[in-house]
Amino acid sequence: MASLKDIQRKIKSVKGTEKTTRAMKLVSSAKLKRAEQVAKASKAYALKITEMIEEISANLAKSTEGLDHPYFKSVKSPKVVDIVAVTSDKGLCGGFNSQTLKEVGNIMSEYESKGAKVRLRVIGKKAVAYYKFQQREMENQIDGLSSAPSYDKAADFIKEVTESYLNGETDKVVIVHNGYVNMITQEVRVDNILPLDPDEFKSDSVSTSELEMEPDDDSLMEALINRYLEYTMYYALIDSLAAEHGARMQAMDAATNNAKEMVKSLTVAYNKARQEAITTELIEIISGVESMK
Amino acid sequence: MSTIKLEIVTPQGVIYDGDVKVATLCGKDGEFGVLPGHASLVSLLDAGLISATTDDNKEIVVAINGGYAKVSEDKISCIVDGAVVVTDEEGELTESLKKAKELLKSAQSSDTAIAAAVSKIESIKK
Repeated sequence: MASLKDIQRKIKSVKGTEKTTRAMKLVSSAKLKRAEQVAKASKAYALKITEMIEEISANLAKSTEGLDHPYFKSVKSPKVVDIVAVTSDKGLCGGFNSQTLKEVGNIMSEYESKGAKVRLRVIGKKAVAYYKFQQREMENQIDGLSSAPSYDKAADFIKEVTESYLNGETDKVVIVHNGYVNMITQEVRVDNILPLDPDEFKSDSVSTSELEMEPDDDSLMEALINRYLEYTMYYALIDSLAAEHGARMQAMDAATNNAKEMVKSLTVAYNKARQEAITTELIEIISGVESMK
Repeated sequence: MSTIKLEIVTPQGVIYDGDVKVATLCGKDGEFGVLPGHASLVSLLDAGLISATTDDNKEIVVAINGGYAKVSEDKISCIVDGAVVVTDEEGELTESLKKAKELLKSAQSSDTAIAAAVSKIESIKK
């Protein structure tokens, strides 16, 4: 039986933990609101730019020349696959990161079973630590980006990836991140960003006239696709950040509730022990008095 | 009279979304007007002004600092990096004009294009 003092100490420590988790929950919910706004605002842009690429590629596919662009060449069985894994820099957010890493693992083994080589490009301290522990080689290890997404840094990173794709070092690029659905739900999203698959872009545009481009076709298409890639990367980062705060808020809420529950049961145990001690003392006094008679 | 849908989107959100009768865009190779039923077109946009006339004959002017436009028969989508709507509501005109000018000046584009756009903005003021 734990002594009174032990229980008291335990109660105090659990209360301390509860305070911490509650504060973290509040911080996360404030940050979530901001991240959510950013994500929502850029969602319109992300959707539009995707729609635009869709329409253009559908149009080009219909035209006589067809899609003859390195970004669109489809590879039946890729030899080298780059996976960009986006996780958080900080922990204490429940299963947020492990969900992403699990999905990355699934994709990895899927490609590896087909004989492809998988290269990892890792964003976020948590994933870096995970793959270091697994002793897997990583092409990139980036931290500090997922806790403070910046468009320029995301653009620099994706440029490097795109260059290695155009050089033929890799045949396929996939981004995996845990995205925001609502305050309490996250969902792992997998984007095959390169090569762009015109079949995946189902366009419902009914435009019949041939597409004109101004200035000349290639430079415009390239600029637009680069913009699309940069934005997809950036959007993955902010989406992941919003989801991270959501997950942390939830995890911290659960932790606070658990701490409360624990304090309750510990208090009951403490009271019981106190009563017991008093009873024993009383019995001792009474029996002492009895024996003096 | 038929109309064409005009959408202007920036990373900060949707700036304008509505039906217009005619729109004038600032393409890289010069200004061009778009009427409903225009042939499909993709164009690079320079820093400058997008102006349009709405259904009820209101003038809309939006200053942008470069981007892309996709025109189809019934829709114009502009994807731009930054945009300021030059409103003509009481008291807000000067403020929005100032912001629009700042945006144009911060754009890394040819000086002549910016100068032309700024002078156009100034003419609105009068």
